Amino acid sequence: MKHDFSELKLDRVTRRFAGAGGKAFNALDELSLTVKRGEFIALLGPSGCGKSTALNCIAGLLGLSGGSIWLDDERLDTLPPEQRGFGMVFQNYALFPHMSVERNVGFGLRMRGASTAAIAPKVERALAMVQLAGQAHKLPGQLSGGQQQRVAIARAIVIEPPLVLMDEPLSNLDAKLRIETRAEIRRIHRELDRATIYVTHDQDEALSLADRIVVMKDGAVQQIAAPPEVYGQPANLAVARFMGYRNVLDLEVSGRDGGEVSLSGGGIALRGVAMQPIEGRRAAVAIRPEEFTVGAPEGANTIAGRVDNVEYSGRDALLDLVTASGTVLHVRGPVSIRRGDEVRVHVPPERVLVYRPD
Amino acid sequence: MAASADTYARPAFDRTLLLVVPAAVFMLLLFVYPFLYGLQLSFRPKEGGLLWNYIHFFTTDNLWPTIGITLKLALPATLINVGLALPIAYKMRVKTRYQRVVTTLLVVPITLGTVLIAEGMLLYFGPKGWLSHFLQLIHLYDGPIRLTHNYWGVLISLVISGFPFAFLLILSYITGIDPVLARAAATLGAGPGAQFRHIYLPLLAPGLAMCFCLAFVQAFSVFPSAVLLGAPAGPTRVISIAAYEAAFEQYDYSLASAIAMVMGFVQLVIVAAVLGMRRVFYRGPVSGGKG
Ligand SMILES: Nc1ncnc2c1ncn2[C@@H]1O[C@H](COP(=O)(O)OP(=O)(O)OP(=O)(O)O)[C@@H](O)[C@H]1O
Ligand SMILES: [Mg+2]
Repeated sequence: MKHDFSELKLDRVTRRFAGAGGKAFNALDELSLTVKRGEFIALLGPSGCGKSTALNCIAGLLGLSGGSIWLDDERLDTLPPEQRGFGMVFQNYALFPHMSVERNVGFGLRMRGASTAAIAPKVERALAMVQLAGQAHKLPGQLSGGQQQRVAIARAIVIEPPLVLMDEPLSNLDAKLRIETRAEIRRIHRELDRATIYVTHDQDEALSLADRIVVMKDGAVQQIAAPPEVYGQPANLAVARFMGYRNVLDLEVSGRDGGEVSLSGGGIALRGVAMQPIEGRRAAVAIRPEEFTVGAPEGANTIAGRVDNVEYSGRDALLDLVTASGTVLHVRGPVSIRRGDEVRVHVPPERVLVYRPD
Repeated sequence: MAASADTYARPAFDRTLLLVVPAAVFMLLLFVYPFLYGLQLSFRPKEGGLLWNYIHFFTTDNLWPTIGITLKLALPATLINVGLALPIAYKMRVKTRYQRVVTTLLVVPITLGTVLIAEGMLLYFGPKGWLSHFLQLIHLYDGPIRLTHNYWGVLISLVISGFPFAFLLILSYITGIDPVLARAAATLGAGPGAQFRHIYLPLLAPGLAMCFCLAFVQAFSVFPSAVLLGAPAGPTRVISIAAYEAAFEQYDYSLASAIAMVMGFVQLVIVAAVLGMRRVFYRGPVSGGKG
């Protein structure tokens, strides 16, 4: 267990489970990733994609079916969890129900043989960090879900581990506390100056916290990139869908010009940028609802339709636009628009991402 | 109390309480009535005053020592049972291929009666039994082996018949503890030993106390094996034998009732002491999750 390190390396880490009917499946499929000291990594993906599995493999709570884990040149995947010394915040907290908040937080320090005198101030500081100063003597059962979650965070960081693993640590907090704690986590990460791997299915959380995002689906890595890249240039259609590209249209390719592709189908004609090599006759375009401008004049990359549904969301509204051929588009537009209005929307070609269809 | 605020919120009568009636009647007929009957009977001795039976019990040389004799059997047997069941059940807590097989094997003695166990033990441990033959065959121990018709015979039989209960009870307590707690402890640096000491043991303590009480009460009322495998005239003359003799050899039901009352009181003292210790420990849900 060392605190000074320069990188954590995951080399084709794989975990198989016996699935339905005894057929094995890869819950985690060859995850390769190098985490530099000081980096904040977010594992992002839909429920069941293998995020917790990945975290458990790194922490040593699940054995690997293949691959290896290295902290600099020390091989870790053969060590039991207590010798890896990573701090972990569990998805369901896993607080010790028979120990007070204080003893829960101090547990890791006690296991490391620290003296009572050394433990007390550290525990106090950790509890203050997560705004639980007054709750030190309560049992976990006497805390609210959000408070329990913060105890779990305090318990993991108080041992100042080389790597902090967090499994959806904010899922039970209210919106305000979530944003506050998010900032707190980022600050703690900077202060510890180690590395953090943070699991979430909330893209906002991943975008705001991480230095790099690992997007996963069905156990396989889809993209590893910095937040702006994952947001603006998803590597494939699955990532695009997950990152909020709600409009995915399957269209026919009518022309190619370098990176630009012209597509048409169902009365819609669009030009966009190819995100992958497009070979076939059909392709999928992905567009975010907020990339559309409502009320554009007739021209290239415009689509006309009737508003079928209006979802008010404060600053603007989410409109369902139905074209003459029956295609439904999700568009952000002004709140003045009513159901039944005929509107024309425009999207610039550089915001129309073209992928191979899946 | 009567006019507390929530009296208004509650319906006048909770009809689900009616479900308790059969059990209550059952208890009344099969436990409370015989108990009260025995209690008053114990105060109506054949001769002498109100407390004659009790005075007689505590002043007669073949009666009062039975308490000590029984305790000397029941306490070690209970400690062995609980002490043995705990590590084995702890090992069995994770589902493995062998868990089922081992559990079944360990539990088989439950299905055998005490008498059957006694018979088997006589055959196996007796002076002409297999164990004795075997040991003499390999010249490990050539002297006579006396494991029946004495203290050890009864103790062994109490362990054989009492262990499965303790094991099953503890196993169910252990499997009720969320394994993610031990994993959390592991990430915080607790090795297997520390996980047991700091997580499992404190959470199990109330269950262990309960298990100890049940196993103790069961062992304390030992009768058949004390007669069949022990030396009922001397070293294993347990309290239930004294009660049996009073009732069915001297036909003194009043004295027998008094002995039964003494027996019940001793059990009560031990159980109360153990359950009292339970207060010290955490009692509550044994999971670390949301909720
Ligand atoms: N012990 C197990 N045995 C068999 N299959 C498992 C086991 N644990 C997880 N899985 C499967 O592995 C896949 C990934 O599970 P995992 O818990 O890693 O998902 P997740 O990404 O954390 O999801 P969520 O966001 O809902 O927590 C799922 O399909 C799950 O059913
Ligand atoms: Mg998970």
